[in-house]
Amino acid sequence: MPLPILLVLVVGGIGAIALVLHMLGLSARRVFANESEAGAVWESEFPDDPARQVILSHDHHAALIDTVQGQRGIVWPMGADAAARYLIGATIRKTGKGLNIRLPDFTAPRISLRLDQDEADKWAKTGGKRR
Amino acid sequence: MNYPDVTQIAVPFFIAAIVFELVWILTKKRGGRYETRDALTSLLMGAGNVVVTIVLGFVAYGFFMFLWGLTPLDLGNSVLIVAICFVLDDLRYYWVHRYGHRIRWVWASHVNHHSSQHYNLTTALRQTWTGTFTLMMVVRAPLILLGFHPAMVLFVGGLNLVYQFWIHTEAIDKMPRWFEAVMNTPSHHRVHHGRNPRYLDSNYAGVFIIWDKMFGTFVPEIESDRPEYGLVHNLGTFNPLRVAFHEWLGIFRDMTQSGISLRDRVMYAIAPPGWSHDGTRDTSDQIKIKHLERTPEDRDTPGFNMR
Ligand SMILES: [Zn+2]
Ligand SMILES: [Zn+2]
Repeated sequence: MPLPILLVLVVGGIGAIALVLHMLGLSARRVFANESEAGAVWESEFPDDPARQVILSHDHHAALIDTVQGQRGIVWPMGADAAARYLIGATIRKTGKGLNIRLPDFTAPRISLRLDQDEADKWAKTGGKRR
Repeated sequence: MNYPDVTQIAVPFFIAAIVFELVWILTKKRGGRYETRDALTSLLMGAGNVVVTIVLGFVAYGFFMFLWGLTPLDLGNSVLIVAICFVLDDLRYYWVHRYGHRIRWVWASHVNHHSSQHYNLTTALRQTWTGTFTLMMVVRAPLILLGFHPAMVLFVGGLNLVYQFWIHTEAIDKMPRWFEAVMNTPSHHRVHHGRNPRYLDSNYAGVFIIWDKMFGTFVPEIESDRPEYGLVHNLGTFNPLRVAFHEWLGIFRDMTQSGISLRDRVMYAIAPPGWSHDGTRDTSDQIKIKHLERTPEDRDTPGFNMR
């Protein structure tokens, strides 16, 4: 196949599929129905250190985790799915919309959380050291 | 003899099939899930793979042509020889894929194919950018030395990848029994993409599932243990560059840390993924053992037939 045609097909195809998916509403972020759902996400990632306490954000899009081994962690949406990480070494900064968390982790370098102001204050305080 | 580049020719078919699967899922309200950024990342990984193949393809091809110059054998280009080449190359695929899950160096390249938490036709296109660096082309050397022309070997390898496209779907439950017995199918490959302890390190097949049955790595899809897709530790980023290179960086950091022995450094590259010098991480074997400690009733069920 001539390269220009391949290029048009690939770029056009990718762009069109992404646009259609977005317009179909398939960019919606994961909602955690309750604490136990967010806790289950944590436990499937860290089965050796399950959640002891789960604090769900008001909008149900994220959760702060206290683990059995006394660590703190975060569960947040990866699109329709979720990711979970310990907050060890995290730098947590308040933004106008919530919190910005930086982790020393190449596979999860930045987490932007949308939180209410009072919520953001509380999470920043309990989540780790504050910048 | 000129062989077409089947993976490139298949691109329009890939796009059409993705659209078809999406429409199917949306109208039937079952058979899989799509998410914008996940699909976009998969498609960009696929496009990057095409680019890398164009740019770095000469490395493998040069190596193969070098071997072709060495061998006195030439099996010609008959249909029968191409068919035999296809089957033997599928055996080659099985072993490269198995190494891809059992040797961290090779896993660093293959991991991105497993990095989606979704399982749909776009997942099939989430292909590696760094395959050349694994040097796994050496596994094809016997084929070339036996007299299969390099162009033929690459052609059947392309067919193999095109075959594997359609099995990345939840829209098909099970194929007819005889087909499930011989061929790799959506059901078998869903198992391969499962991060459930039961499903780790199983169903490495490309086209023929018989290799897994022969070499003891076959695990059937269990109704009560639906595959959860993705990695044991799922990524917290959609950035294709991070998806493509994260495990290579992990190997580099592990190998260059201070205070470990030379043996440990080497092990960080060649041991199974999850190996660590201080036992702070789990390999798939350890994950299975820990799962059985928590869930002893799973002992001796498929995927847990362990010593
Ligand atoms: Zn694999
Ligand atoms: Zn796959």
